Amino acid sequence: MKKIKAVMVGQPNVGKSSIINAISNARLHVGNFAGVTVEKKEVEITKNEYELDIVDLPGIYSLHAYTPEEHVTKKYLLQEEYDVIINVVDANVLQRNLIFTLQLLDMQKKMILVVNMIDEVEEKGGSIDAQKLSELLGIPVILTSAKQKRGVEEIPDKLIEIYESTRCDCKIYYNEKIEEEIEKLSTILLKSPHIQDSKIARFYTIRLLEKDEDVYKIIHDLPIFLELHEALGESMKRLELEFDIDDVRDLFAQERNALAKSIVMQVMQLPRKESLTDKIDKILIHPIFGLPIFLFFMWALFQLTFEIGSIPMDYIDQTVSNFADWLKGILPPGDLNSVITDGVIPAVGAIIMFLPNILILFLGINLLEQTGYMSRAAFLLDGFLKKFGLQGKAFIPLVSGFGCTVPAYMAARTLKNPKDRLITMLILGFMNCSARLPVYVLFIAAFFPTHSAGNVLFAIYILGAILGLIVAKILRIVLFKGEPEPFVMEMPPYRFPSLKALAMELWIKTKLFIKKAGTFIAGTAMIIWFLSSYPVDQKLIHIYEQKIEFAKSEQEKTKLQNELAAKSLENSYLGQFGKAIEPIFAPLGFDWRMSVATISGLAAKEVVVSTLATLYAVGEADENNSTFIQKLRENIDFKAAIALIIIIMIYSPCVAAMSTFYAEVPQWAWRTFYTIYPNVLAWIMAFLAYNILSVAGF
Amino acid sequence: MRVSDMKIGDEAVIKKVTAEEPIRSRLYAMGITRGNRIKLLDHTLKKQTWEVEIEGTRVALRDEEAKSIEVEK
Repeated sequence: MKKIKAVMVGQPNVGKSSIINAISNARLHVGNFAGVTVEKKEVEITKNEYELDIVDLPGIYSLHAYTPEEHVTKKYLLQEEYDVIINVVDANVLQRNLIFTLQLLDMQKKMILVVNMIDEVEEKGGSIDAQKLSELLGIPVILTSAKQKRGVEEIPDKLIEIYESTRCDCKIYYNEKIEEEIEKLSTILLKSPHIQDSKIARFYTIRLLEKDEDVYKIIHDLPIFLELHEALGESMKRLELEFDIDDVRDLFAQERNALAKSIVMQVMQLPRKESLTDKIDKILIHPIFGLPIFLFFMWALFQLTFEIGSIPMDYIDQTVSNFADWLKGILPPGDLNSVITDGVIPAVGAIIMFLPNILILFLGINLLEQTGYMSRAAFLLDGFLKKFGLQGKAFIPLVSGFGCTVPAYMAARTLKNPKDRLITMLILGFMNCSARLPVYVLFIAAFFPTHSAGNVLFAIYILGAILGLIVAKILRIVLFKGEPEPFVMEMPPYRFPSLKALAMELWIKTKLFIKKAGTFIAGTAMIIWFLSSYPVDQKLIHIYEQKIEFAKSEQEKTKLQNELAAKSLENSYLGQFGKAIEPIFAPLGFDWRMSVATISGLAAKEVVVSTLATLYAVGEADENNSTFIQKLRENIDFKAAIALIIIIMIYSPCVAAMSTFYAEVPQWAWRTFYTIYPNVLAWIMAFLAYNILSVAGF
Repeated sequence: MRVSDMKIGDEAVIKKVTAEEPIRSRLYAMGITRGNRIKLLDHTLKKQTWEVEIEGTRVALRDEEAKSIEVEK
């Protein structure tokens, strides 16, 4: 069986993923490109003695790569081995897409052009002459509609056809004057023994004239570079003078645009009429009503996420604890039993519990993205967020952050600019996630009158968000000088989402989430379990066992058991650690128990409640337990309680979130900064609050 | 005249793009190139963000970018 490797490229929003999904019998592999966290999709198809391997590259507007994802695609196109390019374009905006197609044609590789969404053009009464288009470009053209599964089946056939053909007429001729310079320069380039192929020489020359840094790097180390560099400068000067322009890049942009325009005029019939998008946009991005409508959508998404998401929560919780109990019964008693049933399963369960919320949130975000509304939301909010050094699109991850920081970091991928993305990710932790709620509820119940509880909780959430915006502004001023990167964004037309694509996206996200949470949380849970269970003080256990045996009432027995648990924990590595770090937290009024609870909150914020419960010797307790609240009031003063709330608000999110950040941000400098700064900031803020309160006489 | 001077619904022909790289190339990729027709569709309340249409593509821009596109009616 012969193998053909093809790459699928196209501008964003042309429906590449839908085409991949529509190709029948395809096996889909999803992973990441080596070294980067950009998703990589690959399908394999078998057809007439051929094995077709199609790699779906991230969307790219132009070979002048700009976003991280575009760089991945460009690098792949320039450096990897493949046989055929499948270039997908949107029939509705053929002219703009052809500009990129013309850039690709400069490579003179075997290529087929897939003109997708032809159904939308035909609905409006338009048409495209595929035969003519194919003649003009010199490559095969297929008209498709992934939605109607039209023409998609032809892709494998055409792929094999062009693979087997030896000819390629695909060459774009520019203005005579430009061709002259290209000819001169490629002759020099061909003198180098490293470049034998005249096609590659021509392509490199064009890219060099367009000041392509990636190609510049390739050529830079060749011995021919000196001669070429000089000739290149002269060519550029001649062209700039000839065409009265400041930059040769403009020349190529204008040439390609003119060419694309004339091609569209020859092959396409499109009567213009007001589309559905125009009508919807008149309402949805209305200067006055746009914002309230948007806020309503967000509110609805949150309601759905938490209302519907919380329904299966108890059920999952029950199933997980039943499973742990059952396993406890059948596994031989001992450390292994304990680590699995007390450590790993509850911890992994606590994460799986959030899966429904996360899925609903993701479904909502995907819907916003697929229908084209996301770009409108960014458009509406850009002005406000710009004041804080963020950009419009940052709103989506920030909103997700109130649910769970893990998917929020992933949602930050919608930000294409690396700086904007990094700043957004660095402040996401200040959006209070749902796991912190139990801690707040407990402390508010213990230290505030019931009638103001709701307001305090609301204040905590708002203060977190405001702090996030302020920090964003500071980061922008201190670390990334200047204004946020300019904002040029395509507003795709509104489309009905494809159910298949939605389901596919959701399935991929779920798989990645479970894999990450499963491996990571299981690992940390084991460590925490170990640290809190060892070393075992046999003498202490012995003394308490005797006491428990002689206990008169059940109540006393429970009390002794709790005391034993507390003492064991105090002696454990975790307890020793708590005592060791007590000096750090002493200025905030914390005792060693609060210190341990704070540290354990790094594993997951809910753990703060259970740790405090264990340490203050009340055994099993939740945030509504009144004896527990009583104990807290006796042991913690108001100032320290406020300090703890501030710490919880600001310091590092849970390890699952932190590991997601590490996976998304490869630079160690940023990882280190991210790991340190929220904790330092949290400490300082808590310290200030504690001291201001003590001066005020609390 | 620049895009930021246009009124909603106005159409014009692009004369020159003065933005710096890499924004200029990004604008070109969106079809904002000399000779193409541009239509102003919408802007936000304080005219900080603009929506334009070029040859069938809708693009959102900031004030700075809108100012960098010279047009002629």
